[in-house]
Order: sequence, then C-alpha cells, then structure tokens
Amino acid sequence: MTRDILLQLSQVLAVVGLSPLLQGIIIQFEERVQRAQGPGIFQPYRDLWKLFHKHLVVPDTASWIYWAAPVVAFTCMLTVPILIPVLTNFPLPLSNMGDILGGGLILTLGSFMVLLAGLDSGGAYGGIGSSRAVMVGILAEPTLILVFIGITLLAKAMLPFVVNHLLVASPAVYFSPAHLFLVAAFFVLLLTETDRLPIHSNTHLEIYMIDEGRILEYSGPLLALLKWASMMKQFILYTIFCNVLLIPWGLSVEGSAAGTFASACALIGKFVLVGCVVVFVETAQSRLRFYRYQEPLAASFLFAVLSIIGTQLSWS
Amino acid sequence: MIVQNLPPLVSSVFSLLAIASLLLTFVILGSRWLNHYLFAFAAESWLIAGLSVTVGAYGDFPELYLIAVLTVVFRGILLPYLVWRIVRRQLVDYEVHVILRPSSSLVVGAMAVVFALIVAAHVGGHLGLAGTVAILALTVMLSMKLIGFLMLSVRHEAISQVVGLLILENGVFLGAQVLVPGMPMLLEIVILFDLLVAVACFGVLVRYLASTVGTTSSFGLKRLVG
Repeated sequence: MTRDILLQLSQVLAVVGLSPLLQGIIIQFEERVQRAQGPGIFQPYRDLWKLFHKHLVVPDTASWIYWAAPVVAFTCMLTVPILIPVLTNFPLPLSNMGDILGGGLILTLGSFMVLLAGLDSGGAYGGIGSSRAVMVGILAEPTLILVFIGITLLAKAMLPFVVNHLLVASPAVYFSPAHLFLVAAFFVLLLTETDRLPIHSNTHLEIYMIDEGRILEYSGPLLALLKWASMMKQFILYTIFCNVLLIPWGLSVEGSAAGTFASACALIGKFVLVGCVVVFVETAQSRLRFYRYQEPLAASFLFAVLSIIGTQLSWS
Repeated sequence: MIVQNLPPLVSSVFSLLAIASLLLTFVILGSRWLNHYLFAFAAESWLIAGLSVTVGAYGDFPELYLIAVLTVVFRGILLPYLVWRIVRRQLVDYEVHVILRPSSSLVVGAMAVVFALIVAAHVGGHLGLAGTVAILALTVMLSMKLIGFLMLSVRHEAISQVVGLLILENGVFLGAQVLVPGMPMLLEIVILFDLLVAVACFGVLVRYLASTVGTTSSFGLKRLVG
C-alpha cells in the first residue's frame, strides 16, 4: 500500500519534473530542423527559475480570478496524472476516482480558468487570445468527445488502464482501423491543444497569438506557474497519446523502483519519437491563415467518425 | 464465402486496407488541388491492389494476383499519368469555383459514410453476414460511390469530374474484391479498358472545352450555344 502511494507520488512528480524537459526537447529539435543553434534542452528549466525570482506586477483592473487562475490551472495539471498510466500499467490509489471523461473535464477546467483570466484584466490582446482559443476549442471539443466514445466502444470500458491492457494483449485490435483512426484523430487534437496546428505561428507577436495571448498580463511567479501548467498539460496529453493509444508497451508491470525508473526513461524515448513527428509536421506544413482553422479539425472529426464506424463493424 | 471465417488479424488487415482507401477518398474530397487528386487516386489503387493480393493469398484465388498487377499498372500508374497529362496542358491547377468548401464537404462525406454504414448493416443483416468484414466492404464500397457522386456534383472542373468517376469505379472494384473474389477475370479486364476509354473521352472533351469555351470548368456550359 505504501509502495503504491509512493508510486502514485512519483507519477505526479515525474509529470512536474519532466514536463519542462519535454518542452525543451521539442523546441531544440525544431530549432535544429530549421538549421538554428537552439537554446538547449534545459532552457525551460532556466526560464522557470528566472521567472520565479522576478517581481510580480499586477494590473489595476485584475480581480480575484487573476490570482486564482494560475493556481487552479496548476492544481488541475497535478490532478490528472493520478488518473492515467504515466509509469505503471496498473491502477494506483485514487486512480479510480475518474475515468477518461473525468480526466478530460479536469484538463478543460484548467484551460477554462486561463481563458477567464485572459478576459479578466480587460486588455485587448487577452480578449483576442481568449476568443480565438474558444473558437478553436468549440471545434476541438466535439472531436474529443467522439474520440472518448471511440475508445469506450473499442475497449468496452472508460478507464485508460483497460485500453492499455487491451492493446498490449491483442495485436488484432492494435492494427484494427478503429484504433488507428483514433490515433490519427487524437494526434490532430494533440497538435491543437499544444499550439502546433498550421494556424499557430511561431513568430512571437501579439497579433498572431492564440493561446499565449491569454497570459500576456501575467508576470513573475504567476507567469511561471501558468507556463509550467501548460508544459504539464502538453506532457499529460503526450502521455495519454503514447501510453494509452500509440505505444502502450514499456510501462512498469510490477512497480519496482528499477522498473519505474526504466519506464520513465522509456517514456522520454517515446516522447522523443512523437516529438520528431510533431516537429516534422509543423515544419513541413506551411502556415495557414487563422480562418482556415476548421480544416484540420474537420479532418480530425472525420477520423473520429470513421473510427466509431470501425468499432461498429469489427465486433458487432 | 471467404469473409465468413477469417482469423482476426487477417480481418484487421482487410479492414485496414479498405478503410485506408476510404481515407484517401476523403483526401481527394478535402483538397482543391488537381495534383493531390491524382496522387491520392494512385495511392488508393495501390492499396486496392494490396487488398487483391491479400484476398488472393488467404482465399486461394491465384487469378487475383494477376488482377493486382493489372490494377497497379492501369489504375495505379497509367490512368493517373493520362489524367496528369491533361492537367499539365491546361491552365488551372486547382478548383477555382467550389459549391461546397472542402471542410464542409468533408463533413458531408462523413454523413455519407454513416448512411452507407446503416444501409450496409441492413443488407448484411438480411444476408446473415452481420459482424463480418463483408459489412465493412459494403460500407466502404457504398461510401466511395456516394463520395464519387458528391465529387461529380459539387465540383466544376472537368478533371475533378473524371476523378469522381474513377473513385466511384474504384469503390465498386474494392467491394467486388472482398464480396465476390471469384469474379471472372474477363470482366475485370473489360472494366479496365472501359476506364481507359472513359479517360480518353474526357481528354477529348477537356481539349474541346478549352478550345471552344475557353475554360475547362463546366460552369461555362450553362449557356446554350447554337
């Protein structure tokens, strides 16, 4: 029991500690692909350290939401790793307090608070950022729900651990179209939620910002919390994508210390693979103007519908 | 019928190939570039050839290997090349006027797939095929036909209409591979030459349109010209 609690804690700590590394790896890859030197994979840690040592400047118009949003967002991201298989492939204490939908709800709650915070201080760019994020979100949410329905129909359960075990146990399910389309649909959602769709720009200008625009009013430690929360969100989504859908192997089965450490290393390895694909897609695909944001999301919706049809055909 | 007792992994491979070709149809539907149409169509034909080989290997139909080769040569290489030659000679390389935007037509296409699924489930239920890969083949066949019709009705470029016709025919061919794998060889060859004739006719039509109307879009055919 104590061991399980320790494992659960290490799951959360792995997400907290390794999420800046994932961000650093992706940014470094991207710079290298574009033939730049790159800041090094540990840059996000240094950024966080710097931000935590800065003063806090609060706009006069800010209300309590301004203070609450970073804390709520960070707490949400601390909660989700409890529900999903990060290091072990068996449920740990409190893992059963929410299923996939529960995890999705908590993830969305974090984004929702940041959205409110963007509107709260009344700045123009915060408002633009929030409204753009909602426009994209409105189309991403139905697809997310359809993906969840697809997973449920595939595994006849809503727990990520069951899906993981099913995919490891049966190659026929792994190579079934239902599963592969879920992977494709979730990949587009992953790009959407981590700001890497073709409509997202890497030019750091307010006019192009979508998700970043919401946190422009923040500074110092609160900004650090928000940035860390968004890195953790990225880490969590990558974890769900790899450990539940794409590469369900390489998780600790017994829960020994060595096995857990090895599965953390394997996790980084999987993320490097997925990160390479993400960077490739982002570099190869040309930028689209913002109002073409429906196209990738329509494709993702289509994948989800096809996957649900696939589940209906295979084992009806 | 071969589809009734297949090992699960083989039936997964079947459904994967079938759904991947359906996906390529959606690539065609969601794009407006004529070159993309041709690449996706060629890839789709290669997948269908792969399906023929798989069916041939698991169902003991040696003549399907020959059909696979014919499919690759004609549908995978020759037909796209012929259409590409027409595209190269013409002025536009993407769909200028669209009735339905690509993202909207994707959603309409998804609805078409759902409709095809319902029809296929009914038909399969009556034939006692429920729960087999035959339903999937029927679904993919019907939805590729519907999407082909969609292409024919919402796109104006003559090339898009040829491609719509070719997709429609690919769908029928794919369904036939899985549902009646023992279809006579001669029939397949006849269909292939049919397609060649169709593409040749379209080539002539496109050149005629380009020289007399000045455009290859069927938008220009609204007026009656005496």
